[in-house]
This record gives sequence, structure tokens and C-alpha cells, in this order.
Amino acid sequence: MTFRTRLLVIFTLAVVVSVGLVEVLVSGSTRQAFEGVEAQRVDALVAQFQKEFDRRREEIVRAVNGIAGSDTLSAIATSADFSSYYDAAQDLASAHGLKLLELVAGDGTIISSAEWPARFGYSEEWLTRGTDWHSLGAFLKREELADGVALSLLAVGTVGVADRQLYVVGGQELDREFLSTLVLPKGMRVLLYRNLEPEFSPAELVGDSRFGDAEMVQPLVRQVLGDRKQTTRILGRGADAETFHALPLPGYEDTLLGVLLIASSRRELVELEASLRSTGIWVAAGGILMGVVLAWWATARITRPVQKLAESAGRVAAGEWGTTVEVASADEIGRLARAFNRMTHELVEQRQRLVQAERVAAWRELARRLAHELKNPLFPLQITVENMQRARENYPEQFDEVFREGASTLLAELSNLKQIIGRFSDFAKMPAPEMQPVDFNQLVSETARLFEGQLAQAHIAAKLDLARDLGPVSADAEQMTRVLHNLILNAIDAMPQGGTLTIRTSALGEGIRLEVSDTGQGLTPEECERLFTPYYTTKTHGTGLGLAIVQSVVSDHKGHISVESEPGKGAKFRIDLGGGA
Amino acid sequence: MAGLAEWAGAETRPRYGGTLRVEVRLPGDSADPPQIGAGIADLNGSFAITQWDGGRRAVYEASETAAGGRPYLDRVEVELARPLRDQAIDLDLGKADLIELGLTELRRQPAGRKVWPSAPVRVLALVFGPRVDDARVREALSLGVDRGAIHRVLLQQQGEISGALLPQWLTGYAFLFPATADIARARTLLSGMPAAARSLTLSADDPALRPMAERIALNARDVGLTVAVGSGNADVRLTEIRIVSTDPARALTVVAAALGANPPARAVSPEALYAAEKALLEGFRVAPLFHLPDIYGVSPKVKGGPGISPLGEWRFENLWLEGGRP
Repeated sequence: MTFRTRLLVIFTLAVVVSVGLVEVLVSGSTRQAFEGVEAQRVDALVAQFQKEFDRRREEIVRAVNGIAGSDTLSAIATSADFSSYYDAAQDLASAHGLKLLELVAGDGTIISSAEWPARFGYSEEWLTRGTDWHSLGAFLKREELADGVALSLLAVGTVGVADRQLYVVGGQELDREFLSTLVLPKGMRVLLYRNLEPEFSPAELVGDSRFGDAEMVQPLVRQVLGDRKQTTRILGRGADAETFHALPLPGYEDTLLGVLLIASSRRELVELEASLRSTGIWVAAGGILMGVVLAWWATARITRPVQKLAESAGRVAAGEWGTTVEVASADEIGRLARAFNRMTHELVEQRQRLVQAERVAAWRELARRLAHELKNPLFPLQITVENMQRARENYPEQFDEVFREGASTLLAELSNLKQIIGRFSDFAKMPAPEMQPVDFNQLVSETARLFEGQLAQAHIAAKLDLARDLGPVSADAEQMTRVLHNLILNAIDAMPQGGTLTIRTSALGEGIRLEVSDTGQGLTPEECERLFTPYYTTKTHGTGLGLAIVQSVVSDHKGHISVESEPGKGAKFRIDLGGGA
Repeated sequence: MAGLAEWAGAETRPRYGGTLRVEVRLPGDSADPPQIGAGIADLNGSFAITQWDGGRRAVYEASETAAGGRPYLDRVEVELARPLRDQAIDLDLGKADLIELGLTELRRQPAGRKVWPSAPVRVLALVFGPRVDDARVREALSLGVDRGAIHRVLLQQQGEISGALLPQWLTGYAFLFPATADIARARTLLSGMPAAARSLTLSADDPALRPMAERIALNARDVGLTVAVGSGNADVRLTEIRIVSTDPARALTVVAAALGANPPARAVSPEALYAAEKALLEGFRVAPLFHLPDIYGVSPKVKGGPGISPLGEWRFENLWLEGGRP
């Protein structure tokens, strides 16, 4: 992955994360704000409902008190026989808009019952317990009716005439009909759970109920019945969700007779949130897209000089030491470009100095080698000439003999000098290889055969390990013979006590790998590094040009030579030719 | 003083002429006017039918050849199938001269309103159908009914509480049949009985009897029975049987026939009659509750009454109307 791509990915991720974070924070805070507003709205609606509920309670109290204060009740209270008024409650209830009305004698006996006319004569003992009905107002009570048990909102009025007292018990049944008469704000509905059964019963859930309400509100109802306190919970999903305020409805004896569920639709809020979320997503997507475009542009702007620097560095690595980059800015990138230009400039200068130094060193090494190589034959020449002079002056009778011996020595040393000069001349005049298909197995075998005598004299065993399927490889046979010659001589020199010389050929792709190994004294790592330097030698004799010539030939063949060696473990020279070496 | 004497004379002296407007609750279902039975059929003889309007209205003219002489009234117009409440309103408004009074209407009558009651000539009873085959259930319901409360409140103390089929005034032994509630025994009878066996339906033949049926259902609940008040073919019927004869034996036979029971043996002594009636009540297939009178409200214009016999028969031949011809 390029630096630019990586930078673009980082920028994009940063934009996405930032925009996402902002979106989450904004939508979270917005939702919280809307929830707060919604909670206030619901609280206001609940308060409005409670006000309406209280108004209805007051209406019931007023109606009951109105009945209690009516002439009819006075007439009943003063009547000697209540039995003739057994159906009076129905007309009174109808006239005062009450569904439930019972006229009860002072001893608790029902005189007349509107909701259950047949109950005359039955007793309502709870009325005679001395409760202050006036201050109690309207209250909830479990009421048995002809067709079952009902939850009723009742008020009790009293009528006192002389020493006689009557109770007027009137109210409304808390049922679907009652709930439907409540004036509710839009989006609100009321359910009533009548706690009249030992266990939760869906049949006791009345009001504006829908399919599935019973199952939905059951946990909430159970919680309110258990905790006996107001609870708010959101029920349902999506736009159909509603905020349910559950109000416990205690009876006048503090028994929990019901749970009023005031449901406020969250549809508007949910739709608003959905709209905001949709807008947020589009804005975020736009922001991310714009961020990516800007990141792409910024990345291109930032990475262009870096890319140029990288290209320039690559050219420097490829050998174009004088490469420079354009300095387009004064920032870090500009400073880096200037530093790069200064560095390449210094590199060029250093390289020139190094070449110069190496050249001087090479000349010095050449001079030293020449002095060393020439000194060895010159010294015998000098001794021989001095012996001849001394014999001419002091022993003239032996001079002829000395002269003959001296002349022989002189000729031998002069021959040696000529050989030394010839080698230097060869190195200087290394010709370009003439490439032709060469059978290296044959070349190795023939060359090794030339050294059989010399190897036997040095107690060295020659071992040839030649690849059978090796094809011809393009090379200069004469130069490669010289290479092998030098490596074998080098190995012989490395094994003065004898040993094993191994020459191995193997295929290397379309090329060849040639390995010459000895079991000699080996080389140190430092010696390995300098081994191919011209005029460098680890031996007491030689020009130090052998391996230099080898490396030169291999290099002219576009090949590669390396050496593996450790002190005391011999050395292995490996030459790879062709096959992309 | 002369004026007072003249007024008193006008009040007590019969006068001819006028039309007596009568309203009754029951419809005349037949194509022809009834010839037997209490009520409208009693007019035959003294009056002659001149108009029969689909069972809704009948007009009778005074018969010049009546056995006891021509009635004072010229005409009797009978409105049939008139609800009790409408009858009461018509009487108040002067649109009717003689109406039937429901038992609960009695207390609503203004002070001084003339009322003609008959003797208790209707027996009100619970009659169990064949589906209620467990005698314990029948007995429990009979024992559970608080007749006293119903008599005091719903019947406004009209009629008599009774456990007998025939009224006390007719036999003299009706008080021997128990008529008091026994909740404890009723509950004992029903103990251990499954709920399904303790559920009944109850209907009232007359809608006016429905409050009584409701009360009976409430009483039944107290003893452990579940009684649903409805209409039509119910397990138990609250029904009314008319006593049509002052001869107890004949009256019992008619009652037995109305109940669908076998006719009792002809009783020649009160003991035999008692035994026959007791036999009819064995097994609690029928539970007598009350004996009720017929009660009529009468306009102050109607003079010469009572126009109702102890058996509730109409005796209009001696009535006259205020303002008639002297």
C-alpha cells in the first residue's frame, strides 16, 4: 500500500469516525431533548386527564349531594315505610346522570338500588362504620352487580331528618362507557385494568384497548400492583409505541382496585426522530463524501513532494548520484528536499573523493606489489653479479665456472621477471568474452585432467560432481578455463598438507552453478571480503591478481561469484552464470 | 242545606247513560270476543258486543233484555293491550274510567283514588320444567325465596304470602303449607353439587313479574344457585294461575290442569282437598309464592261500585257515571 493510499485511508477513517461521532452525539442529544419535551407533553396530558378525572369525581359528589338534598330523599327519610320507594333510585339516578345509585337506610339496609333493583332489603354494612363520607369525596369501590363484579367510582351522601338518617350511594361504573366519556387530548387513550380477579385477567382490561394490549401491559400492571406507585414505561415498537403512565387506583379501604393506564402515542416523536435520523444520515454521508474528496486532494498535495523525494531516492539508489528534487515549499517537506539535495551533492563529492582515494591506494598497492615482486628476482641477480665480480677479482681460476652458474641463475631470474610482467600485462589487457555454447562438464573434466600430476604431487584428491542433465551454457570457454585454472591453483595453495578438491556443476535455471571447494585452512570473514580485490593475497607468493581476474571474467559474463569459508573448514567458491545470476 | 241535599242525592241516585271507558293489559288475541273467563267475557248478558276491533278494542252496548234489567250505562268501551303505565296516565288525564292497577302502581295513586280490589284470585308460583330433574335443586330454590321481602316491597303488601296453591280465603288451610325461607337448609341441600347442576334459567310469563324474577335470582344466589333471568323456554317459569271458582275442589282441578299435573281426585272434605293439594306439591315441581288480587283504579265519575266481584269478575250492570241522565 502506497503512502498516499495509506494517508487517504487514514484521512477517510478519521472523517468517517468524526462524522459518525458527531452524528451520534447530535442525534443522541436531539433525541434526549425531544424525549424531554415529550415527557413534559405527556406529563401535561396526564395532568389534564387527572384534572378531567377529578372533575368527574366532583360531578359525582355534586350529583350525590344533590340527590341527598332533594325533596324526594326528605320524603323517603320521613316515610314510615321505605318499601314503597324501592324503585325510587332508578328515577333519581336517571335524573342526575348517575349509573349507580343506592338509597340506604340508616341501619345499612338497601331501600332502593338503581343498578340492581332486586337488592332491596340487603345490607350495606360498610356504610355504617362511621366514615366521614363528606371529606372522603368520590372513591373507588368494588361493586357487585347482577351481571358480575364492577369497579365503581362512588360518593356517599347522607340525609338526616330528625333522628333518622339515610345514605345516598351514587356514582359511575368505571367501565369502557365511562372512559369513553372522558375528554382526552389527541393522541391519548385510556385503559383501565380492574383488579377484581386474584390473577391478571385480560377481560378486566377495559377502555380503548387494541389487540395485544393485554399482553403488552400485563408486566406494567403487575409492577404497579406490586409497588403501588405511579410508573411510566414505553411500550410497543416503532411508530406504534406509546408512553404508558400507570396510576394505581386505591379504594377507600386502601385496597388497590385498579390501575389506570394513560397511553400517549409516540408516533409524532418517532416520526420526527426518524426524519432527523434520515436527515442526519444524508448529512453525514455528504460530509463523509466531501471529507473523502478533500482527503484525496490533501493527500495528493501532501504526498506529491514526498513521492518525488522517493523517486529521487530511488534514482540515487540506482546510481544517479547527482539527482536533485525541486524545493517547492518552505515547510518540513521543503527542508527535507533541501536536505536531500545537499545529501546527494555531498554523496557525489564523497564518491569522487573515494574514487580518487581508491585510485591512489590502487597505485600504491601496485607499486608495493611491483616492488615486492621485482625485489625477489632482483636480489638473486645482484648476488649473482656480485659473486661473479668477486670471483673475477679473487678467484679468476674459478671464474668460468662461477660465470656459467651465475649466467644460468641470471637467465632464470630474468625469465621469472618476464613472467611477472606478463601477468600484469594479462590483467591489464583482459579481452571481452567471446560467447559460445560451452559444455561445462567437459570443460571441468579437461581442466582437472591438466592438474592431475600437480594434484597428486600435492597429495590432493580431486572429486568431480558433475550434473548429468546440464546443457550447454553461453560463455567464453578460454576465459572460463582460466577461471577454473586459477581456482584450482588457489585450492592447491590452500591445501599445503593435502586434502580434497571438489568441483561440482549443477543446473541453475537456464544457466549453471559451478562450485570449487577445498578442505584447506579456510579464510576469515575479513579475508573473504577483500579476496577479490586486485593485488590482495593471503599467500607469501603470487601477485594477488588471480581471484581478481576470476571476478573480472565472471563479471564480464554477467555472472556472480561468492565465497563461503570459515577458518579451518576450507573454502567454497560459487559461480553462477546465466539463469538470471 | 237544600244544595247539599241535592248534591247528596245526585251522588247516590243511579243515572242512565254514558260510556264507561275501560283499559286492560291483556290483548284479545282471538278473532271473536271471548265468551268465558274473567274480565271482558263477564260483560256478556248485560251488554252486547257491537264492535270487536282486531282484539285491540271492544265496544259493548247496554242490553235492553238483560236478566237483571237494562244496565245504567249505555256503552262500555274496552281498550285492550294497554300497558299499565299508559292506563295509569289515561286515568289521571280522564281518558279512562276504569283501569287495571299493577301491584307497584298502587302506592302511586293519589290520595282518595277509588280502588276496587278483588280477593286474592291469582296464585303466583315457580314452575320447574323437566330439565330440572334434581329435587334438591327445586327444593333449594323454593326454600331460598324470601317471600316476605317481595311481598313487602314489590307487592306493596298486596295479596298473601303462601306456600299453597289455593288461597287461604278459599280453603282455610293454606297456612299449613310452609312459606318461609330456610337458607341454611337450602345450602345443605346443594352442598357438594357441581356448579353446572346448580345453574338455572328463570323466565317470567308477564314482563311485570320480571323484578320479582330478578329478586328470586338474587335470593337463589344466596343459597348457592346461579339463576339467570331470561325469557322463553327456561328451566323455571314464574307464572300466574287464576282461581276461577269459589269451589275449592274445582279450583284445584283447574290449577292442576294449568300446571300440567294429573287432575286430583274429587275431594269431598277439607282433609281430602288438603291431601290432594299436598300431593300436587310433592317433589317441588311447583312452588307457590303468593296469592294476588285483581286491583282496579276507578275514576271518581264512576258510581255504584264495586264493579268487581271477589273473584275479579266484572259487574258493570249496576254502575253509572256522574253526569248521566237522571
